[in-house]
Amino acid sequence: MIDTTSILGYAKPWSVAPGETVSFHLSSAHLPSASLKVVRVRCADPDPNGPGLKLLHAATPLDDGDVQLSSQPTHVGSYASVADGPILSGLTAFSVGCYIYPTIVGGCRQTIVSRWNDRLDSGWKLELDDEGHLSMTVACKGMTRSARSSRSILRREWIFVAGSRSADGTIRLEAVSLSRDGGRERVFSVEDEGFPAVQWPAATPLLFAAQWTGDSRPNKETFNHFNGKIDRPRLYGAALTRADVQQLVETLHPVQTDPLLVGAWDFSLGMNGDEITDLSANNLNGSVHRLPMRAATGANWTGQIHSWTEDPSQYGAIHFHEDDLEDAGWAATTTLSIPDDWQSGFYALQMTTSNGSVPVESYAIFFVRPPRGRRTSDIAVIAPTATYLAYANNHSRLDQTHFEVMADGLMIITADDVYTNEHRELGSSTYDTHSDDSGVCYSTGARPILNARPRSNTFNYVNDTHLLDWLEEMGHGYDVVTDEDMHREGARLLSGYRVVINMTHPEYYSKEMLDALETYQNGGGRHMYLGGNGFYWRVAFHPTKTGIIELRRGLTGLRSWETEAGEGNLSFTGEPSGLWRSSGRAPQRLCGVGFSAQVFDFSTYYRRLPDSFDDRASFVFEGVGADEPIGNFGLRLGGAAGLEIDRAEPNLGSAPNIMILATADRTGAGGIPAPEELPALYRGFTGEENAMVRADMVLYPTSNGGAVFSTGSIAWCCSLSHAGYANNVSQITGNVLNRFLDDSPI
Amino acid sequence: MLQTDPKTAHFPVDPNRLDLVEEFRRAPKGPYSPDLQKIVHRMRWGGEGGRFVLIPVEPGKKWMLGLLPSRRGDAVKTFSDKTFTRLADAEWAVFKIRWEAITGVRIAEETDQKP
Ligand SMILES: [Fe+2]
Repeated sequence: MIDTTSILGYAKPWSVAPGETVSFHLSSAHLPSASLKVVRVRCADPDPNGPGLKLLHAATPLDDGDVQLSSQPTHVGSYASVADGPILSGLTAFSVGCYIYPTIVGGCRQTIVSRWNDRLDSGWKLELDDEGHLSMTVACKGMTRSARSSRSILRREWIFVAGSRSADGTIRLEAVSLSRDGGRERVFSVEDEGFPAVQWPAATPLLFAAQWTGDSRPNKETFNHFNGKIDRPRLYGAALTRADVQQLVETLHPVQTDPLLVGAWDFSLGMNGDEITDLSANNLNGSVHRLPMRAATGANWTGQIHSWTEDPSQYGAIHFHEDDLEDAGWAATTTLSIPDDWQSGFYALQMTTSNGSVPVESYAIFFVRPPRGRRTSDIAVIAPTATYLAYANNHSRLDQTHFEVMADGLMIITADDVYTNEHRELGSSTYDTHSDDSGVCYSTGARPILNARPRSNTFNYVNDTHLLDWLEEMGHGYDVVTDEDMHREGARLLSGYRVVINMTHPEYYSKEMLDALETYQNGGGRHMYLGGNGFYWRVAFHPTKTGIIELRRGLTGLRSWETEAGEGNLSFTGEPSGLWRSSGRAPQRLCGVGFSAQVFDFSTYYRRLPDSFDDRASFVFEGVGADEPIGNFGLRLGGAAGLEIDRAEPNLGSAPNIMILATADRTGAGGIPAPEELPALYRGFTGEENAMVRADMVLYPTSNGGAVFSTGSIAWCCSLSHAGYANNVSQITGNVLNRFLDDSPI
Repeated sequence: MLQTDPKTAHFPVDPNRLDLVEEFRRAPKGPYSPDLQKIVHRMRWGGEGGRFVLIPVEPGKKWMLGLLPSRRGDAVKTFSDKTFTRLADAEWAVFKIRWEAITGVRIAEETDQKP
């Protein structure tokens, strides 16, 4: 076996043009050094039944000599901070209050607001303790006093909470639940005598949702992270009564000129960035760290609106998680300037050494695009980096329980899975839930991603390279354009290409990406969609930072978690997220077919339909018999139609002139339709009994001599290499590509 | 919140249906008769006796039995002494564990020995 986890790394950014620089951030817990080599990836799949691993060495200065490795820690957990200053360090009599909606109660200590230096064991903090009780704690010079609630509070219920210290040292804790119904009432008013004199630690930040260790990077800076939402935190320079502090928290417009108002933060401002804004006259603005979820409903959300853009003031909460991560923050181990003569493609940094007698081999992926403003081929392949991010370090097979029954067989997990299961600090995919069961809505590339690299689990990245391998085998050059390039640069990036190809699973699309493809089609472009479950979820890339996507799963679709009520719109852009179908752009509109079903037990084949004998489509089937099953072979469960499959549907926008050339509708009992396909629940809806569960192969002409060809199956490209590439999946793909490359109108 | 609950798998398993045990032993990868399919669904959905998985030792050739944790993030247990060179043998080994966990009845060794 090869050890793929003893060295890990990532490249920043993922997409680089010749002449630009990519940095590599590597870490090993125990290995001192490694050899580095850059490879161009033609096939990332070592499966001996397929083409095998094909990694082409690209000579670089990194070839000379080993690189020293160090162990670089990854710290997780989001929080917000406000830099220290005399007004905060001098607060001896004060009140701190906010609304909270805790999503974990008990089992761990969680800090709501603090000004604390843990090295000195000194400061104050408002917290939810490991038994789920609220407490206000003051510590100084070896003395610690707390006012603590007599009972645990409730998970996923809003509660007003406040702590105070008065001039004589008395500590108070106050809390009142917002719901009184159904036995949910929690009211606490607790006092402790405290101690009369305090001296706070110097140079200590005010933190929301965490406590400061007293240390700095690369060491761990924060701990006792809070899980849940914090809304409208306020800090006041006197010990107020409960009613007064609750009034201060409740109001959206605190009296700015009140000299005792220290800070009043409105988290609804600057939703798409990292800043938090103080409404007080002190301008104690701060920032969030490690991507907590913004655009979260506040305690004042009425349910009358569903988008934060309609009334941001109802979205003044931030949802923090102890396992949030934005950038692993590892120092760059080395960098590489991309030579001018490198061809565009999928690339990876290969790191090798040995761990005792076991060979170590690990990869950090990146993509080389053609030189900016130029094409170097007639074919553009779109690297679905939004989808790679969405699936990055997917833990769902480990954490969710339905995968064995879905595949109708024992799951095979890899050493990478075993590693990511225990190393949650590498962050989650948007399929996962946080430790508090809320959905993961952001994913980032600046961290090791174990399931998008050569030798990794086969979904997405590895499958996609089967298309690259086939293109190269057939002698076709190609340019690689990543999702993020297309998102940021739009249609101009695609213009001029004769053919644009989507790979096996372009599931996550931003509006900008969809607009670019549609514009390309309308301009006479030839579009081949050789995947399944494409153009399904609506996402956005971060407005300013590279390599970060956001998704809200909404309330329909094949969703591993569900958006919380009212939280379906993206914090980055305000757009509604969820299915593209819910935004009026079902995948059928773009490429004729859209998500129909999952089939994870076995794959099947297509059979030709009458449209395939139409003169306009005859080129597709040159060399293919009339009754030949198409794709009754392949590396993914034995067929070209499987895993996730798409069908044509005029009601969802399939083109009026569409030709349905072939269909794969014998998917069996494991062919389970997507939830949005069913208007009611009834017997007999699986692929064993129902042909709605199917993959359709379609072709249709578009304006200006353009055309679209779609196969609607993830498994398609993993059948291309069967029998030495001499098979009808390869034949059909080649027929279409060659015809599409030919300029004459279709 | 959307969650799946493995404890909801409740198709009744009759410990006397040794014919179904024999059917599984003969063809652990299926296809299964309707009654056996439902028992297999219950086992794979509910994971009674353990959420077992396979971990490749030699890709495509040899697998080791593993057990997923019941609490998320806990270590995956591995059984280096339980390896298989055929996926069907692994299915049969796990079937026996789960049959016993559900019915309380151990599948007799002689069933195992039959050619
Ligand atoms: Fe998908």
